[in-house]
Amino acid sequence: MFADGLFLVFAVLAVLGAVGLVLFRHPMNGAMSFVVTLIALAGLYALLSAKLIFALQLIVYAGAIMSLIVFIIMFLNIQPADLPQEETKLLSILGGGIVVLPIGWFLFKIVKSLPMHSVAIMGTDFGGVKEVGLVLFRDWLIPFEIVSILLLVSLVGAVILAGKRGTAK
Amino acid sequence: MMHCYLYLSIILFCLGMVGVIARRNVFTVFMSIELMLNAANLVFVTFARVHEHVDGHVLAMMVMAVAAAEAALALAVVILLHKHKSKLDTNVFSLLKG
Repeated sequence: MFADGLFLVFAVLAVLGAVGLVLFRHPMNGAMSFVVTLIALAGLYALLSAKLIFALQLIVYAGAIMSLIVFIIMFLNIQPADLPQEETKLLSILGGGIVVLPIGWFLFKIVKSLPMHSVAIMGTDFGGVKEVGLVLFRDWLIPFEIVSILLLVSLVGAVILAGKRGTAK
Repeated sequence: MMHCYLYLSIILFCLGMVGVIARRNVFTVFMSIELMLNAANLVFVTFARVHEHVDGHVLAMMVMAVAAAEAALALAVVILLHKHKSKLDTNVFSLLKG
């Protein structure tokens, strides 16, 4: 019962943060409300007994990625005049909603056809560092190495893209 | 109870898609994509719990790593575009238009 109440709180927070992200004009306000969504999602992962993913969501997503985004937003020093003039914002959001509605309805139908299953909190070691680590380094070793190469490539690419342009010419 | 998590993830995914379609601010579009990735993560973790197998957690970690790589590259591109055009409007970034 307690877990159901927590789920409701986190779900409402997540949806409110996402709505704020879509509606706020300044990207800084959007980023702050997106952080609320990410932290609420971390709480949902904890309710699903995903202990390691809960910690990673807080450290990597809410910590590292969002602070990078907020840093870039502040780095560009955006004035309200620099923002795109979106006079028909509500109208285009309504249009986007109409476009997305069939997709959401389709997914809703699929989920409705799934059999019922309990997702109560597990007291065992499920989702801890040891269990996830064993699976990660036994069954998923090659994808893990490929992801590490991807991160290296994106690091070098970001440095080359955002680095000094004058020296190349 | 499992269905509630999946419905929430559908709602978040649709909101992210609306953000990508309707908004013109580069940062908002970018964060909407992150929101869609997070909705996918929630589905992975929910099904990992349903089947009591941690493969879903590993996949969620992979998605996080890809999101981090995407964030680094996308923000570098945004800085570059802001240097050239000093605008954040996706309608201005039409360099590939013939």
